[in-house]
Amino acid sequence: MEHVDELIAAHALRALDPDDERAVEQHLAECEGCRHKLAEFEAVAAALAYAAPAAAPPLELRDRILGAAEPVVQPPVPPPVRERRRWWPRIAAVAAPGFAVLAIALAAWNISLRNDLGDTRSRFATGRVIHLANVGNVVTSGGSAILYADLKPAPSGKTYEAWVITGGKPVPAGTFDGGTGTRLTLTHDVAAGDSVAVTVEPEGGSAQPTSEPLAVGASNLG
Amino acid sequence: MTAGHTGKDPTTEHLSDHGLLALVAGGDREAFARLYDQYSEAAYSLAVRVVRDREFAADVVQEAFLAVWNQARTFDARRGQPSTWILTVTHHKAVDAVRREERRRSDPIDEEYEGRDPGAPVDEQAWLGMTRERVRQALRRLPDPHREVLELAYFAGYTQSELAERLALPLGTVKSRTFAAMTALRDEFARSGVTMEDSGTRR
Repeated sequence: MEHVDELIAAHALRALDPDDERAVEQHLAECEGCRHKLAEFEAVAAALAYAAPAAAPPLELRDRILGAAEPVVQPPVPPPVRERRRWWPRIAAVAAPGFAVLAIALAAWNISLRNDLGDTRSRFATGRVIHLANVGNVVTSGGSAILYADLKPAPSGKTYEAWVITGGKPVPAGTFDGGTGTRLTLTHDVAAGDSVAVTVEPEGGSAQPTSEPLAVGASNLG
Repeated sequence: MTAGHTGKDPTTEHLSDHGLLALVAGGDREAFARLYDQYSEAAYSLAVRVVRDREFAADVVQEAFLAVWNQARTFDARRGQPSTWILTVTHHKAVDAVRREERRRSDPIDEEYEGRDPGAPVDEQAWLGMTRERVRQALRRLPDPHREVLELAYFAGYTQSELAERLALPLGTVKSRTFAAMTALRDEFARSGVTMEDSGTRR
Protein backbone atom coordinates (compact mmCIF):
# COMPACT_ATOMS: atom_id res chain seq x y z
CA MET A 1 0.00 0.00 0.00
CA GLU A 2 1.46 3.31 -1.09
CA HIS A 3 2.63 5.80 1.52
CA VAL A 4 1.14 3.65 4.22
CA ASP A 5 3.39 5.12 6.91
CA GLU A 6 2.13 8.63 6.12
CA LEU A 7 -1.43 7.41 6.33
CA ILE A 8 -0.80 5.71 9.63
CA ALA A 9 0.71 8.86 11.15
CA ALA A 10 -2.25 10.92 9.98
CA HIS A 11 -4.63 8.23 11.21
CA ALA A 12 -3.18 8.58 14.70
CA LEU A 13 -4.07 12.28 14.49
CA ARG A 14 -7.57 11.46 13.21
CA ALA A 15 -6.84 13.71 10.25
CA LEU A 16 -7.57 11.31 7.43
CA ASP A 17 -10.26 11.97 4.88
CA PRO A 18 -12.94 9.27 4.85
CA ASP A 19 -11.57 7.35 1.82
CA ASP A 20 -8.06 7.20 3.23
CA GLU A 21 -9.41 6.26 6.62
CA ARG A 22 -11.35 3.31 5.24
CA ALA A 23 -8.36 2.15 3.24
CA VAL A 24 -5.92 2.32 6.13
CA GLU A 25 -8.29 0.61 8.54
CA GLN A 26 -8.67 -2.25 6.13
CA HIS A 27 -4.91 -2.49 5.77
CA LEU A 28 -4.34 -2.38 9.54
CA ALA A 29 -6.66 -5.32 10.01
CA GLU A 30 -4.30 -7.37 7.83
CA CYS A 31 -0.87 -6.05 8.77
CA GLU A 32 0.59 -6.53 12.20
CA GLY A 33 3.70 -4.48 11.44
CA CYS A 34 1.51 -1.52 10.62
CA ARG A 35 -0.54 -2.02 13.77
CA HIS A 36 2.71 -1.71 15.68
CA LYS A 37 3.55 1.49 13.80
CA LEU A 38 0.10 2.84 14.62
CA ALA A 39 0.69 2.12 18.30
CA GLU A 40 3.89 4.20 18.13
CA PHE A 41 2.18 7.12 16.44
CA GLU A 42 -0.77 6.93 18.80
CA ALA A 43 1.65 7.37 21.69
CA VAL A 44 2.99 10.50 19.97
CA ALA A 45 -0.51 11.87 19.38
CA ALA A 46 -1.51 11.12 22.98
CA ALA A 47 1.56 13.02 24.20
CA LEU A 48 0.36 16.06 22.23
CA ALA A 49 -2.54 16.25 24.66
CA TYR A 50 -0.06 17.61 27.19
CA ALA A 51 0.57 20.66 25.02
CA ALA A 52 -2.97 21.86 25.68
CA PRO A 53 -3.32 24.51 28.38
CA ALA A 54 -3.98 22.89 31.74
CA ALA A 55 -7.64 22.87 32.75
CA ALA A 56 -8.91 21.26 35.94
CA PRO A 57 -11.95 19.04 35.45
CA PRO A 58 -14.97 19.94 37.60
CA LEU A 59 -15.21 17.80 40.71
CA GLU A 60 -18.76 16.75 39.95
CA LEU A 61 -17.59 15.20 36.68
CA ARG A 62 -15.79 12.56 38.68
CA ASP A 63 -18.97 11.64 40.54
CA ARG A 64 -20.95 11.57 37.31
CA ILE A 65 -18.51 9.25 35.62
CA LEU A 66 -17.91 6.88 38.51
CA GLY A 67 -21.63 6.76 39.16
CA ALA A 68 -22.33 5.89 35.55
CA ALA A 69 -19.89 2.98 35.53
CA GLU A 70 -22.35 0.10 35.58
CA PRO A 71 -21.26 -3.39 36.57
CA VAL A 72 -19.96 -5.18 33.52
CA VAL A 73 -21.70 -8.46 32.61
CA GLN A 74 -19.33 -11.35 33.07
CA PRO A 75 -19.31 -14.93 34.33
CA PRO A 76 -20.21 -15.09 38.02
CA VAL A 77 -16.96 -14.87 39.96
CA PRO A 78 -16.19 -13.73 43.46
CA PRO A 79 -14.71 -10.21 43.52
CA PRO A 80 -10.90 -10.05 43.57
CA VAL A 81 -9.56 -10.53 47.08
CA ARG A 82 -8.58 -7.08 48.29
CA GLU A 83 -7.88 -7.30 51.97
CA ARG A 84 -4.47 -8.50 53.15
CA ARG A 85 -4.29 -12.16 54.01
CA ARG A 86 -2.69 -13.05 57.32
CA TRP A 87 0.97 -13.61 56.84
CA TRP A 88 2.62 -16.96 57.48
CA PRO A 89 2.48 -19.22 59.39
CA ARG A 90 -1.23 -18.43 59.83
CA ILE A 91 -2.18 -18.25 56.17
CA ALA A 92 -5.88 -18.48 55.40
CA ALA A 93 -6.34 -20.46 52.21
CA VAL A 94 -8.11 -18.69 49.37
CA ALA A 95 -11.30 -20.69 49.07
CA ALA A 96 -12.02 -20.01 45.45
CA PRO A 97 -13.61 -22.75 43.36
CA GLY A 98 -11.39 -23.81 40.48
CA PHE A 99 -13.54 -22.32 37.72
CA ALA A 100 -13.75 -18.98 39.49
CA VAL A 101 -9.99 -18.69 39.86
CA LEU A 102 -9.51 -19.42 36.18
CA ALA A 103 -12.20 -16.93 35.23
CA ILE A 104 -10.60 -14.24 37.37
CA ALA A 105 -7.25 -14.95 35.79
CA LEU A 106 -8.72 -14.70 32.30
CA ALA A 107 -10.57 -11.49 33.07
CA ALA A 108 -7.60 -9.97 34.82
CA TRP A 109 -5.33 -10.65 31.90
CA ASN A 110 -7.58 -9.43 29.10
CA ILE A 111 -6.73 -12.52 27.20
CA SER A 112 -8.35 -12.28 23.84
CA LEU A 113 -9.67 -15.71 23.21
CA ARG A 114 -9.97 -14.99 19.52
CA ASN A 115 -6.25 -14.47 19.00
CA ASP A 116 -3.08 -15.89 20.39
CA LEU A 117 -4.45 -19.28 21.20
CA GLY A 118 -0.84 -20.35 21.47
CA ASP A 119 -0.33 -18.02 24.38
CA THR A 120 -3.54 -19.03 26.05
CA ARG A 121 -2.68 -22.68 25.74
CA SER A 122 0.75 -22.24 27.18
CA ARG A 123 -0.67 -20.46 30.18
CA PHE A 124 -3.58 -22.67 31.02
CA ALA A 125 -3.29 -25.98 29.17
CA THR A 126 -2.40 -28.41 31.86
CA GLY A 127 -1.82 -26.28 34.88
CA ARG A 128 -3.50 -25.06 37.94
CA VAL A 129 -3.91 -21.33 38.37
CA ILE A 130 -3.20 -19.47 41.57
CA HIS A 131 -4.59 -15.98 41.65
CA LEU A 132 -2.53 -13.32 43.44
CA ALA A 133 -4.85 -10.41 44.02
CA ASN A 134 -3.47 -7.09 42.71
CA VAL A 135 -0.31 -8.78 41.49
CA GLY A 136 -1.11 -11.31 38.78
CA ASN A 137 -1.31 -15.05 38.73
CA VAL A 138 0.80 -18.18 38.91
CA VAL A 139 0.30 -21.05 36.51
CA THR A 140 1.60 -24.44 37.54
CA SER A 141 2.24 -27.36 35.28
CA GLY A 142 3.47 -30.52 36.90
CA GLY A 143 5.55 -29.12 39.72
CA SER A 144 7.02 -26.09 37.95
CA ALA A 145 5.32 -22.72 38.14
CA ILE A 146 5.43 -19.43 36.28
CA LEU A 147 4.45 -16.11 37.82
CA TYR A 148 2.81 -13.55 35.52
CA ALA A 149 2.63 -10.06 36.99
CA ASP A 150 1.92 -6.44 36.10
CA LEU A 151 3.59 -4.46 38.82
CA LYS A 152 5.28 -1.09 38.78
CA PRO A 153 9.06 -1.35 38.72
CA ALA A 154 10.35 -2.01 42.24
CA PRO A 155 11.59 1.07 44.12
CA SER A 156 15.29 1.83 43.80
CA GLY A 157 17.37 -0.42 46.06
CA LYS A 158 14.55 -2.93 46.28
CA THR A 159 13.31 -5.92 44.40
CA TYR A 160 10.18 -8.02 44.31
CA GLU A 161 10.59 -11.54 45.64
CA ALA A 162 8.33 -14.52 45.14
CA TRP A 163 7.92 -17.16 47.84
CA VAL A 164 6.49 -20.63 47.89
CA ILE A 165 4.92 -21.34 51.23
CA THR A 166 5.23 -25.01 51.79
CA GLY A 167 4.79 -26.83 55.07
CA GLY A 168 3.77 -23.49 56.56
CA LYS A 169 7.14 -21.87 55.77
CA PRO A 170 8.11 -19.46 52.99
CA VAL A 171 10.90 -20.57 50.67
CA PRO A 172 12.55 -18.09 48.27
CA ALA A 173 11.33 -18.66 44.70
CA GLY A 174 12.93 -15.92 42.66
CA THR A 175 13.32 -12.15 42.45
CA PHE A 176 12.18 -9.75 39.74
CA ASP A 177 12.23 -6.05 39.02
CA GLY A 178 8.59 -5.63 38.04
CA GLY A 179 7.19 -3.77 35.05
CA THR A 180 4.31 -4.90 32.89
CA GLY A 181 4.68 -8.33 31.40
CA THR A 182 6.79 -9.98 34.09
CA ARG A 183 7.10 -13.68 33.44
CA LEU A 184 9.15 -15.42 36.11
CA THR A 185 9.77 -19.13 36.38
CA LEU A 186 9.72 -19.82 40.08
CA THR A 187 12.87 -21.44 41.37
CA HIS A 188 10.91 -23.67 43.72
CA ASP A 189 8.22 -26.16 42.83
CA VAL A 190 4.64 -25.54 43.80
CA ALA A 191 2.88 -28.64 45.08
CA ALA A 192 -0.78 -29.14 45.95
CA GLY A 193 -1.57 -27.28 49.14
CA ASP A 194 1.34 -24.83 48.72
CA SER A 195 0.77 -21.10 48.50
CA VAL A 196 2.63 -18.40 46.61
CA ALA A 197 3.34 -14.92 47.92
CA VAL A 198 5.14 -11.80 46.69
CA THR A 199 6.91 -9.24 48.87
CA VAL A 200 9.16 -6.25 48.38
CA GLU A 201 12.68 -6.96 49.63
CA PRO A 202 16.03 -5.20 49.62
CA GLU A 203 17.90 -5.51 46.32
CA GLY A 204 19.29 -9.01 45.87
CA GLY A 205 16.43 -10.59 47.74
CA SER A 206 16.23 -12.09 51.22
CA ALA A 207 16.39 -15.57 52.66
CA GLN A 208 13.23 -14.92 54.63
CA PRO A 209 10.50 -12.34 54.00
CA THR A 210 11.15 -9.02 55.73
CA SER A 211 7.85 -7.37 54.88
CA GLU A 212 4.14 -7.99 54.56
CA PRO A 213 3.16 -9.65 51.30
CA LEU A 214 1.60 -7.76 48.42
CA ALA A 215 -0.50 -10.83 47.80
CA VAL A 216 -0.82 -14.44 48.86
CA GLY A 217 -2.61 -17.05 46.84
CA ALA A 218 -3.26 -20.70 47.54
CA SER A 219 -3.90 -23.41 45.03
CA ASN A 220 -7.00 -25.47 45.67
CA LEU A 221 -7.07 -27.07 42.28
CA GLY A 222 -5.78 -30.43 41.15
CA MET B 1 3.98 9.06 29.78
CA THR B 2 2.51 7.08 32.60
CA ALA B 3 2.00 8.67 35.97
CA GLY B 4 3.23 7.58 39.39
CA HIS B 5 0.50 6.39 41.69
CA THR B 6 0.29 7.91 45.12
CA GLY B 7 -3.24 6.89 45.99
CA LYS B 8 -4.38 5.84 49.41
CA ASP B 9 -5.30 2.22 48.78
CA PRO B 10 -2.29 0.09 49.66
CA THR B 11 -3.49 -2.94 47.76
CA THR B 12 -3.51 -1.22 44.37
CA GLU B 13 -0.55 1.02 45.02
CA HIS B 14 1.98 -1.30 43.39
CA LEU B 15 0.03 -1.88 40.23
CA SER B 16 1.13 -0.51 36.90
CA ASP B 17 -1.47 1.09 34.67
CA HIS B 18 -1.81 -2.21 32.84
CA GLY B 19 -2.53 -3.91 36.13
CA LEU B 20 -5.15 -1.31 37.01
CA LEU B 21 -6.76 -1.67 33.62
CA ALA B 22 -6.90 -5.42 34.08
CA LEU B 23 -8.83 -4.82 37.30
CA VAL B 24 -11.12 -2.39 35.51
CA ALA B 25 -11.81 -5.15 33.00
CA GLY B 26 -13.10 -7.19 35.91
CA GLY B 27 -15.44 -4.42 37.00
CA ASP B 28 -13.25 -2.91 39.71
CA ARG B 29 -14.55 0.62 40.32
CA GLU B 30 -11.71 1.56 42.60
CA ALA B 31 -9.09 0.80 39.96
CA PHE B 32 -11.21 2.78 37.50
CA ALA B 33 -11.26 5.73 39.89
CA ARG B 34 -7.46 5.53 40.16
CA LEU B 35 -7.09 5.73 36.38
CA TYR B 36 -9.59 8.59 36.28
CA ASP B 37 -7.66 10.50 38.93
CA GLN B 38 -4.41 10.03 37.04
CA TYR B 39 -5.53 11.02 33.57
CA SER B 40 -8.73 13.07 33.84
CA GLU B 41 -6.88 16.37 33.89
CA ALA B 42 -4.92 15.56 30.75
CA ALA B 43 -8.11 14.32 29.06
CA TYR B 44 -10.16 17.32 30.13
CA SER B 45 -7.48 19.82 29.12
CA LEU B 46 -7.31 18.20 25.69
CA ALA B 47 -11.09 18.18 25.33
CA VAL B 48 -11.40 21.85 26.33
CA ARG B 49 -8.72 22.80 23.81
CA VAL B 50 -10.47 20.92 21.01
CA VAL B 51 -14.14 21.65 21.64
CA ARG B 52 -13.67 25.07 23.21
CA ASP B 53 -16.50 24.73 25.67
CA ARG B 54 -16.18 23.41 29.21
CA GLU B 55 -19.55 21.72 29.44
CA PHE B 56 -19.09 20.10 26.09
CA ALA B 57 -15.59 19.05 27.15
CA ALA B 58 -16.97 17.42 30.30
CA ASP B 59 -19.40 15.42 28.17
CA VAL B 60 -16.55 14.31 25.91
CA VAL B 61 -14.48 13.18 28.88
CA GLN B 62 -17.45 11.29 30.29
CA GLU B 63 -18.01 9.51 26.98
CA ALA B 64 -14.34 8.64 26.77
CA PHE B 65 -13.95 7.24 30.28
CA LEU B 66 -17.15 5.24 30.02
CA ALA B 67 -15.85 3.77 26.76
CA VAL B 68 -12.71 2.76 28.66
CA TRP B 69 -14.87 1.22 31.40
CA ASN B 70 -16.96 -0.75 28.94
CA GLN B 71 -14.16 -1.84 26.64
CA ALA B 72 -11.37 -2.53 29.09
CA ARG B 73 -11.79 -6.26 28.56
CA THR B 74 -10.92 -5.90 24.90
CA PHE B 75 -7.79 -3.81 25.45
CA ASP B 76 -4.74 -5.58 24.10
CA ALA B 77 -1.56 -4.67 25.97
CA ARG B 78 0.37 -4.77 22.70
CA ARG B 79 -1.42 -1.59 21.71
CA GLY B 80 0.64 0.27 24.28
CA GLN B 81 -0.01 2.15 27.46
CA PRO B 82 -3.46 2.54 28.98
CA SER B 83 -2.77 6.28 29.21
CA THR B 84 -2.28 6.40 25.44
CA TRP B 85 -5.54 4.55 24.95
CA ILE B 86 -7.45 6.86 27.31
CA LEU B 87 -6.16 9.99 25.57
CA THR B 88 -6.65 8.48 22.11
CA VAL B 89 -10.30 7.75 22.87
CA THR B 90 -10.72 11.23 24.35
CA HIS B 91 -9.19 12.84 21.28
CA HIS B 92 -11.33 10.74 18.97
CA LYS B 93 -14.52 11.74 20.78
CA ALA B 94 -13.49 15.40 20.89
CA VAL B 95 -12.71 15.57 17.19
CA ASP B 96 -15.94 13.76 16.31
CA ALA B 97 -17.86 16.24 18.45
CA VAL B 98 -16.23 19.20 16.78
CA ARG B 99 -16.91 17.86 13.31
CA ARG B 100 -20.53 17.12 14.14
CA GLU B 101 -21.12 20.53 15.57
CA GLU B 102 -18.93 22.29 13.06
CA ARG B 103 -17.31 24.38 15.73
CA ARG B 104 -13.62 24.80 15.39
CA ARG B 105 -11.01 27.14 16.63
CA SER B 106 -7.53 27.40 15.27
CA ASP B 107 -5.85 29.65 17.79
CA PRO B 108 -2.23 28.82 18.43
CA ILE B 109 -1.62 27.11 21.73
CA ASP B 110 -1.59 29.78 24.38
CA GLU B 111 0.23 29.53 27.64
CA GLU B 112 -2.67 30.22 29.99
CA TYR B 113 -2.43 28.11 33.07
CA GLU B 114 -5.62 27.43 34.94
CA GLY B 115 -4.27 26.13 38.18
CA ARG B 116 -5.04 22.73 39.61
CA ASP B 117 -6.36 21.08 42.71
CA PRO B 118 -4.10 22.33 45.54
CA GLY B 119 -4.69 19.06 47.35
CA ALA B 120 -2.90 17.03 44.67
CA PRO B 121 0.38 15.46 45.83
CA VAL B 122 3.41 17.48 44.82
CA ASP B 123 5.19 14.71 42.96
CA GLU B 124 2.19 14.24 40.67
CA GLN B 125 2.33 17.90 39.75
CA ALA B 126 6.05 17.73 39.09
CA TRP B 127 5.64 14.80 36.72
CA LEU B 128 2.76 16.47 34.88
CA GLY B 129 4.54 19.82 34.62
CA MET B 130 7.69 18.16 33.33
CA THR B 131 5.83 16.22 30.66
CA ARG B 132 3.98 19.36 29.58
CA GLU B 133 7.23 21.27 29.30
CA ARG B 134 8.96 18.53 27.30
CA VAL B 135 6.09 18.22 24.86
CA ARG B 136 5.84 21.98 24.36
CA GLN B 137 9.57 22.27 23.82
CA ALA B 138 9.51 19.48 21.27
CA LEU B 139 6.73 21.27 19.41
CA ARG B 140 8.63 24.56 19.45
CA ARG B 141 11.59 22.81 17.85
CA LEU B 142 9.56 21.76 14.82
CA PRO B 143 9.87 23.92 11.70
CA ASP B 144 6.90 26.33 11.64
CA PRO B 145 5.22 24.79 8.56
CA HIS B 146 5.35 21.34 10.13
CA ARG B 147 4.07 22.47 13.49
CA GLU B 148 1.24 24.41 11.89
CA VAL B 149 -0.27 21.45 10.03
CA LEU B 150 0.20 19.22 13.04
CA GLU B 151 -1.53 21.57 15.46
CA LEU B 152 -4.40 22.29 13.12
CA ALA B 153 -4.92 18.60 12.49
CA TYR B 154 -4.70 17.52 16.12
CA PHE B 155 -6.27 20.40 18.01
CA ALA B 156 -8.69 21.83 15.48
CA GLY B 157 -9.77 18.53 13.98
CA TYR B 158 -9.20 19.41 10.32
CA THR B 159 -8.81 16.60 7.83
CA GLN B 160 -5.87 16.67 5.45
CA SER B 161 -7.88 17.86 2.46
CA GLU B 162 -9.50 20.58 4.58
CA LEU B 163 -6.02 21.68 5.60
CA ALA B 164 -4.84 21.71 1.99
CA GLU B 165 -7.72 24.02 1.14
CA ARG B 166 -7.35 26.21 4.19
CA LEU B 167 -3.59 26.64 3.80
CA ALA B 168 -3.68 26.75 -0.03
CA LEU B 169 -1.24 23.87 -0.27
CA PRO B 170 -1.15 20.72 -2.37
CA LEU B 171 -2.56 17.74 -0.49
CA GLY B 172 0.77 15.95 -0.90
CA THR B 173 2.54 18.78 0.91
CA VAL B 174 0.11 18.61 3.82
CA LYS B 175 0.66 14.86 4.04
CA SER B 176 4.43 15.02 3.94
CA ARG B 177 4.65 17.89 6.45
CA THR B 178 2.35 16.03 8.84
CA PHE B 179 4.44 12.89 8.50
CA ALA B 180 7.68 14.82 9.02
CA ALA B 181 6.28 16.41 12.17
CA MET B 182 5.08 13.11 13.58
CA THR B 183 8.32 11.25 12.96
CA ALA B 184 10.37 14.10 14.43
CA LEU B 185 8.18 14.09 17.53
CA ARG B 186 8.25 10.32 17.78
CA ASP B 187 12.04 10.39 17.92
CA GLU B 188 12.18 13.39 20.24
CA PHE B 189 9.63 11.98 22.69
CA ALA B 190 11.44 8.66 22.78
CA ARG B 191 14.71 10.47 23.45
CA SER B 192 13.33 12.67 26.20
CA GLY B 193 11.34 9.90 27.84
CA VAL B 194 7.88 11.32 27.16
CA THR B 195 6.88 8.06 25.51
CA MET B 196 8.28 4.89 26.95
CA GLU B 197 9.01 1.54 25.40
CA ASP B 198 7.85 -0.55 28.28
CA SER B 199 5.36 -0.18 31.00
CA GLY B 200 7.62 1.50 33.49
CA THR B 201 5.76 4.04 35.52
CA ARG B 202 7.58 7.21 36.33
CA ARG B 203 8.75 8.04 39.82
